[in-house]
Amino acid sequence: MKVGVQINERELELEVATNSTLIDLLREDLGLRGTVEGCGVGVCGSCTVLVDGRPVSSCLVLAADVDGRVVTTIEGLGRNGALDPVQEAFLEHQAFQCGYCTAGMIMAVKGLLAENPRPSAAEAKDYLSGNICRCGTYEEVLGAVATAAASSDGGGD
Amino acid sequence: MTAIGTSVARADGPLKVTGQVQYTVDTQLPGMLHAKVLRSPYPHARVLAVDATAAAARPGVVVLTAADLTNLDHAFGVALRDQPIVAIDRVRFVGDPVAAVAADTPEAAEAALEFIDVEYEPLETVMDPEAAAADDAPVLHPVERPRAPMFVGWPAERFRGSLNVCSGYHVEQGDLDAGFASADHVFEDTYRVPPIHHGNLEPHAAVASWDHRGHLNVISSTQSPSIVRLQLAEIFGLTENQVRVVVPYVGGAYGSKVYAKIEPLVAAIARKAGRPVRLVLTREEVFATAARHACTVHIRTGVRNDGTIVAREVRAFYDTGAYADTGPRASKKGGYLAGGPYRIEHQSLTSYCVYTNKAPAVAYRGFGVPQVVWAYESQMDDIAARLAIDPLELRRRNLIRDGDTFVTGDVLRNPGLDEALEAVAEAGDWGSPVPEARPGFAIGRGVACAIKSTSTPSNSAASVRLNADGSVHLLTSSVEIGQGSTTALAQVIAETLSIPVSRVTVSLPDTDVTPFDQSTISSRTTFSVGRAATDAAAKIRQQLMSLAASQLEAAVTDLDVDEGSVFVRGSRDRSLTFAEIIRRHFGSPAGSLFGDSVFQTRGGLDPLTGKGKASATWFYSAAAAEVEVDLETGKARVLRIATSADVGKAINPAQCHLQNEGSMLTALGSALFEEVVYDAGQPTNSSFLDYGMPSLEDHPLEFHSILVEHPSEDGPFGARGVGESVISPVAPAIGNAVAAALGGARVRELPISPERVLAAVDQQPEARA
Amino acid sequence: MQPFELLQPRTLEDALDRLADDEEARPLAGGTALVVLMKHALLRPERLVNLKRIPALQGIDWSSETGLRIGALTTIREVEQHQAVRTWFPALAEACHVVANVRIRNLATLGGNLAHADYQSDPPAMLIALGARVRIRSVSGEREEPLETFLVSGYQTTLEPGELVTDILVPPPTAGRRMQYLKFTTRSAEDRPCVGVAVSLGLEGTACRDLRVVVGAVSSTPVRVAEGEELATGKVLTPDLIDEIAGRAASAVDPIGDVRGSPEYKRRLVQVLVRRSLLGSVTEVSA
Ligand SMILES: Cc1cc2nc3c(=O)[nH]c(=O)nc-3n(C[C@H](O)[C@H](O)[C@H](O)COP(=O)(O)OP(=O)(O)OC[C@H]3O[C@@H](n4cnc5c(N)ncnc54)[C@H](O)[C@@H]3O)c2cc1C
Repeated sequence: MKVGVQINERELELEVATNSTLIDLLREDLGLRGTVEGCGVGVCGSCTVLVDGRPVSSCLVLAADVDGRVVTTIEGLGRNGALDPVQEAFLEHQAFQCGYCTAGMIMAVKGLLAENPRPSAAEAKDYLSGNICRCGTYEEVLGAVATAAASSDGGGD
Repeated sequence: MTAIGTSVARADGPLKVTGQVQYTVDTQLPGMLHAKVLRSPYPHARVLAVDATAAAARPGVVVLTAADLTNLDHAFGVALRDQPIVAIDRVRFVGDPVAAVAADTPEAAEAALEFIDVEYEPLETVMDPEAAAADDAPVLHPVERPRAPMFVGWPAERFRGSLNVCSGYHVEQGDLDAGFASADHVFEDTYRVPPIHHGNLEPHAAVASWDHRGHLNVISSTQSPSIVRLQLAEIFGLTENQVRVVVPYVGGAYGSKVYAKIEPLVAAIARKAGRPVRLVLTREEVFATAARHACTVHIRTGVRNDGTIVAREVRAFYDTGAYADTGPRASKKGGYLAGGPYRIEHQSLTSYCVYTNKAPAVAYRGFGVPQVVWAYESQMDDIAARLAIDPLELRRRNLIRDGDTFVTGDVLRNPGLDEALEAVAEAGDWGSPVPEARPGFAIGRGVACAIKSTSTPSNSAASVRLNADGSVHLLTSSVEIGQGSTTALAQVIAETLSIPVSRVTVSLPDTDVTPFDQSTISSRTTFSVGRAATDAAAKIRQQLMSLAASQLEAAVTDLDVDEGSVFVRGSRDRSLTFAEIIRRHFGSPAGSLFGDSVFQTRGGLDPLTGKGKASATWFYSAAAAEVEVDLETGKARVLRIATSADVGKAINPAQCHLQNEGSMLTALGSALFEEVVYDAGQPTNSSFLDYGMPSLEDHPLEFHSILVEHPSEDGPFGARGVGESVISPVAPAIGNAVAAALGGARVRELPISPERVLAAVDQQPEARA
Repeated sequence: MQPFELLQPRTLEDALDRLADDEEARPLAGGTALVVLMKHALLRPERLVNLKRIPALQGIDWSSETGLRIGALTTIREVEQHQAVRTWFPALAEACHVVANVRIRNLATLGGNLAHADYQSDPPAMLIALGARVRIRSVSGEREEPLETFLVSGYQTTLEPGELVTDILVPPPTAGRRMQYLKFTTRSAEDRPCVGVAVSLGLEGTACRDLRVVVGAVSSTPVRVAEGEELATGKVLTPDLIDEIAGRAASAVDPIGDVRGSPEYKRRLVQVLVRRSLLGSVTEVSA
C-alpha cells in the first residue's frame, strides 16, 4: 500500500507491504541500517526512532502507520556534517561500548530533551530506563544527557 | 609519550554514535537468500522421520535436513564433536535444529517451515545436572563423541555416573581427612546457580557463500574467527586457506558468540543453495543457542577457631545443556578455582560437566568461575558469623600472597588482591555503622573477592604495517565486541612507536588477511594480542632505527624514537621523520614496512593430576555492596556497590571502568532476578517480555569502580586484563549484604528473588528483628 | 508476520461496517500486543481494521459534572500526561506512567490495553477502583458497561465480534478523594507487574464513606476486595482495620503462578501491598 512519509527531512512516497514494520521499511527498503533490532517485542529499545518527535519501538510499528508522519532516525541527526550535541555528548562521555543500543539510546535522549530540556537525573533515569544496554554503560549515558542538556542549544531541537 | 594510561577517545566512536557502524546483521550480498530454522518442540525425542518434500516443492525454497549431510561428519564442538548441524536421529532440547530453509525473504522461509513434517518419539528428559550424572539417568548421547583436536581432555570415565558426564576435572593437595580432622568447625552447604541469558543485543548472525573455487566465505558475528575457520574447514573437509571468515563490529557477545554456533548450518545450506545465505536469529533462538552454565556446588570447609581455613572439598556439577560446547573447559576452570583465592592446606576440588535437556550452555563472561565464587564467598560469611570474626578480617587472614603456590601448582606473582579488597572496603565504608533503615526495611553490607585465570596455552599473532606517511595499521583477528580493543591496541602501538594514537588503525578480522588469534575471550585481548602488537611494533621501530642509522650516519645504539621521528640522542636536530626514512629507503614516498609477532603462552594442566600451569596471568577482583531489604516483600535493592580489579596496568582507564560497570550490572542481574526458567523441559521465558535485564533504574544508586595496578610479567606495559574480573565477586557481595541485613538468614540459590528472601526470613524468624 | 489485508477507515461508522462485514477481522489500535502476537504467529488474522485514523476515537475530555471521557485510541502516554488526568486522577496518571517504557506508552492505547485484557496490566485495576465504564459500539448500537464486568478473564472480555470499545468513562471524583496505585515488580524495574494495588477512598470527616480496593495482575482479572470495602464503610481506617482489610484482600485473590512469583508469594504480597496502600492513603488524610 502507498505511504507518504517524511523521513529525516525527506518527503517520500513509498509502496509498503501491510505486514512490513517500520524497522523493515527503514533497514530493508531505505537502507537506513543505523536502526537495529534487538528483541522484536519493544523491550530493549535498540530500534528506537522518533515518530512525530516521540520515541517509539520501530519493531512494533506497521510501516503503513507512518503515512502522513515525520520519522527521524539516527541518520537524520546532525546538520551540515556536524554531529548533533547529543552525539557529541555520547562521544565525550564514552557512553557506549558495543554500540548496538547506541542509536536507539541517542534517539531516546533526543525524545527526552525535546520534552524536557533540563531533566533531573531522576527524570532522565525514568525516561531512559526502557533502553537496555547490556554492556552496562548507564552512568555514562546519564553524564551525556547532562552535558547535552547543558550545551547551548540544549540538544533538544 | 602518554598513549598508555590515558582514556583516549574510542576509535569506533564516530561510527557508533552516527549509526554508520556495520554489524553482521547489516550484511547484504547480491542474490542473498534468508534462512530460517525448524526447531524441536520436544526437550528430548527420537526423530523418526523428516519429510521436507512439500517445503522443497515451494518456489524458490531450499531445504536442508540431515539427509543432505550424510557424507559429512558434521557434528561439531570445540571440546567434543557432539553437536550436529541439524538433528540426525535425536533432538535433545527445545530449540534443537531439525531442518533449515532458505528463501528469498525471511517471511517466505518462515512460511516454508510449516511444510516440513517431522515425526518424533518423545523420550524421558533430565533437567538437573546432578540427577543427570547418576547412573540411572536417561542418556542424551548414547555413543561417546570424539574429542576435538584442540581439546586436552581428561578421561570422563573417572567421573561417571552416567554417560551424561561428558567431562570432569579433579585436583587435590594435602590430606583432606587430616585437614578436616584438624578443623574446629566444619561448614557444609549446597549452592545453586540457574542458567542465565547473555543478552547480547545483536543476535547471532552469519552470512555464508561458496565461490567457484570451492572456497567458503563467511561473515559472522563470532568472537572466534580463527577457530571458526578451523571448525568449518574440519566439517567441510577444506584447508584453512579455503575458508574465509570476516567479522564486522559485534553488537555484544559476552561469550555467547565464542566458537562455531550457527556458522556450520549457514554454510551447509548455502552450499546446497549455491547462493549466499544469511541467518539472523530471533531472540527466542538466541535463548536456544546459548546460556550460562547452571551449576550445583557442594562445598565443605574446615576452619580453625582463629579463622584459618584448613580444608576444603568442592564438588561442582556444571549443567552444559544438550551439547558440550565449552562446558568441559568452563567446568575445568571453575573446578580448579573452586577453592578461592585462599591459602588452604588441604583441598579436593572436583567438577563434572553434565548433559541435560536444556539449551547448550556456552562461554559466558566469567567462564565457569562466578558459579563457584557464589558458593565459596557466601559460605565465607557464614564462617565469619559463626566464628564472630569480621568478614573482611577473615578474608585477610586467609588470602593468598605474593609467591604462594596455587592448588594447580602455579606460583602467583604480585597479586593485587589484598589491595583490591581493601579498596572496596574503604569505598564501601566497611567498618563504619550501617545507615539506619526505614521501618520495615533492613540494610546490610557484604564483601567478596575472587580470582580468575586466562585460557592457557594460547597464542595471538599481530602484524603491524607502517605506511609511507608514518601512519600504521595493525592486522589482527581480535574482535571488537565493544570492549574497546581497537582503541587499546592502537594505544600500545602508538606508545611503542611514539606516535599519536590517531595515526594507528586497527583492523577487524578477515582471516584471509589477518593472522591467527585464539579468540576474543578470557580477558586476553589486551594481554595477548596487546603483547603481540607491542612486539610487532617494536620490530618496526628496530627497522626504522637501522634504516635511520645509515641515513643519519649514526650508530643504532645512539638513536632514539620520539614523536614519529628517529633522532640522534643528544642532538635533536639530527632527526628524520618516519615518512622521511621510508622515502629515502624506497626512493619515493611510497611503500611499507612490516613487523610480525606471535605471543604464545605455555602451560596447561595434566589431565590425570589436574596440576601444571593453569594460567599465564591472573585476575583479582573484589566487591563491596550495601543493600536495602524490604522485610515484608523480600525485595532487595542495591544502594551502593564498589568494585575493584587488578588490571595490571590500565591502558585506557575509562574503558577499564566500563568493563567493571558492565560486569557489575550483569552480575547484579544474575544476583537478583535473572534466570532462564524451564517447566517440564520447556523454556518459559525466552523473550525479553519475560526475561528482564538490569535497566537504568536497577543501577545501584552509587557505584565505584577502582583499578588496582599490580603489573603482570608478560602483558604489554604490565597489563593483565579486565573484561571478566568484577563479574564474580558482585553476586556474593550482594548475597552477603542481604544475609547481613537479615541477621544471617541466607539465600543459597540464585537469583536472590524476593520470594527466596522471604523464605529465608521465615526459616530464621529472628532475622525479622 | 504473515501477510494480511489492512483496512483504513476514517470514520467510526465505516470501521463498524467493516467489522460487521467480516467477523474474523481484527481491530488494530497501537499494535503493541497485536503485532507481537502476529510476529510469533500466535494470531494470524487475514484482515485488520486500523482504528488510528478515526478522530471520534481520539482525545480526552473532562467536565466536573460528567467526569472524564478518554477516547479508546488515546495512547497511554497521552493519558499519563493529560492535565485533567493529573489534576483529578493522579493515581490513574501513575498507573499509566508505570506501564512498560515510554516507547510503548507512545504507541499503546488505553482501549487496546483493556480490550486485550492481559492480566499482567496496570491501568485496569486503577480504572475499576475509580468506577470506570467502557462505552462499546457496533453497527447495531451502543452499550455501556462497568469495566469490572467487561473483563471476564485472561484475554477475555464481553466484546462480541463487530464491537469496538469507543470510550473509557471515569466519573468525577468526590471532593477530597484519596487514590493510590502501587505497582510491584519482582525482577527488573522494567518488568510487568507481579502485583498492582489500586485504592480509591472517599471520606466523610476522618471516616471512610466509600472505599474501593482492587488487586491487579494477580488473578485472571483485577479483583475487587468487596468484603474489605464493606468493612471500611463508615469507619475510621485504623491500623487494625487496615490489617483486616488486607487479610480479606489476600483471601479474595486466586493468584496465578508465573515467572514473577508463585501463587503463595503473590497472596502474601497482596496483603502487604494493600496494607501499605491503605496506610498511605490514611496518612495522606491526617497530613
Ligand atoms: C514491552 C511491553 C511491556 C509492557 N508492559 C506493560 C506493563 O508494565 N503494564 C501494562 O499494563 N501493560 C504492559 N504492556 C501491555 C500494553 O499495555 C498493551 O500491549 C497495550 O496497552 C495494548 O494496546 P494497543 O493499543 O497496543 O493494542 P493492540 O495491540 O492494537 O490491540 C490489542 C487487542 O485489543 C483489540 N483492540 C484494540 N483496540 C480495541 C478497541 N478499541 N475495541 C475493541 N478491541 C480493540 C485488538 O484487536 C487486539 O486484540 C506491555 C507491552 C509491551 C509490548
